[in-house]
Amino acid sequence: MKDPYEVLGVSRTASENEIKTAYRELVKKYHPDNYANNPLADLASEKMKEINEAYDAISKTRGGASGGYQSTASHGSYRSGYQTYNSHSGSGGSYAQVRSYLNANQLDAAESILNTAANRDAEWYFLKGTIAYRRGWLDEARQHYQTACAMVPGNYEYQNALRSVQGGYTPYRQSAYQNSGMDDACNICNALLCLNCLCGGCR
Amino acid sequence: MFGYVRPRRDLLGQAEQEDYQAAYCGLCRALGKHYGFAARFLVNYDMTFLYLLRASAGASAQTAPCWCPARVCGKKNCVLDPQGLSSVAAYTVILCVEKLRDNIRDESFFRALPHRLIAWIYRRAYRKAARVQPGFAALTASQLQALHELEAAQSPSIDATADAFARIVAGCAGDSAPALRRPMEQVLYQTGRFLYLTDALDDLREDCARGAYNPLRFRFSVREGEMTPDDLAYLSQLTDSSVNLAGAALSLLPAGAHTTVLENIVFMGLPSVFSAVKAGRFQAGKRMWGRGQQQKNDENPKAR
Repeated sequence: MKDPYEVLGVSRTASENEIKTAYRELVKKYHPDNYANNPLADLASEKMKEINEAYDAISKTRGGASGGYQSTASHGSYRSGYQTYNSHSGSGGSYAQVRSYLNANQLDAAESILNTAANRDAEWYFLKGTIAYRRGWLDEARQHYQTACAMVPGNYEYQNALRSVQGGYTPYRQSAYQNSGMDDACNICNALLCLNCLCGGCR
Repeated sequence: MFGYVRPRRDLLGQAEQEDYQAAYCGLCRALGKHYGFAARFLVNYDMTFLYLLRASAGASAQTAPCWCPARVCGKKNCVLDPQGLSSVAAYTVILCVEKLRDNIRDESFFRALPHRLIAWIYRRAYRKAARVQPGFAALTASQLQALHELEAAQSPSIDATADAFARIVAGCAGDSAPALRRPMEQVLYQTGRFLYLTDALDDLREDCARGAYNPLRFRFSVREGEMTPDDLAYLSQLTDSSVNLAGAALSLLPAGAHTTVLENIVFMGLPSVFSAVKAGRFQAGKRMWGRGQQQKNDENPKAR
């Protein structure tokens, strides 16, 4: 197992608050919502598992100092929150098989079943759109999702999928140009030094 | 190549700007060292991004002052990463020469003459690069042939044409470490898709005037080289989705010395370039770009 402190990106002398903050930042970054329908959701899930294990390990070695946070139900939800296509109400046997192929990232196998389907209902368009999305064919994915949403307007899963190709979701960024703060501080110091010289402070 | 994959330098700290510049100069030096002086002219922002991405997992490489042909007096700081830079230099030569060959195939004999001359100058460099990266050279040639066939058939699918190009860009992750390969391929695939669509928009007016193939002409309603505002908004959302997918994949790569620069390029640079292309300002201000002059007046990409 990797060094838990390294996984959370904190030093061994970090305070409980610093560890919690680092953990929360990482949870936001790899949250299941950020990888809904994403072809790399499995990698994000592994990363999340590693982060949770690292946080648990640090909490245990520190003698339950973070015990309250460790035992919260939120861990469980993060662990099981990545989207999998397990079942769908009203879907036929072939759709269940397509979803299982999608879970295994076998896009060609999933598509070959859909291509032989006689009936093209909303679920067919949703699954076809998901295959296109996983391949990165976003224009085609969007058209299929739009058709699925138009056929069954109230379906939350279809609407979420459509939102993902409308550019609505932005991945969480941890570093977010933190270094610029240091530069700003340097600029202020330089400005104050210059001002001091101009005002006769360098005599 | 295109020069669309560049950072918003006005939003980078001093250290990151120097890091980026050293990578650019290091790539230029590696091109000169492996493929001769003429190959230095192939250095570009897009391939600098590729080097930074491939080196993202590691620590910051050593730098040293190097002679720069563009600077008469003095030296510039260059990254010294022989292994990483030699691979990217080979990719650069292959991509540029294959692009020239594609232009020769698309243009009339006389219009293609300058491309023929430049391709002839780089023929030895190409042969050497193809020996270093034979799989990538074959992939590039086959995908450009597929793209040529789609263009000849006047394909209305922007996904199919963008896919043929994006696969070439994703191929640059071919020899990366297995654990990093999938996220890196996704970053490069979506960046390649973004490049193709942005270039199509940038060339739309010229292609319409010449009667040349442009995927946007056959997918959307285009009149006198202009797309309707609704279609333009739709295309913006498609490129935003590509940026978001590339960004999500970038987050899965281990944080390293170049993470801040890479995030700047993907999340800020690409949307800013698309905004400039959409407004018709990119070609006009190409020389100013990357110096932070035009970006300061640029709209906030998040506000689109």
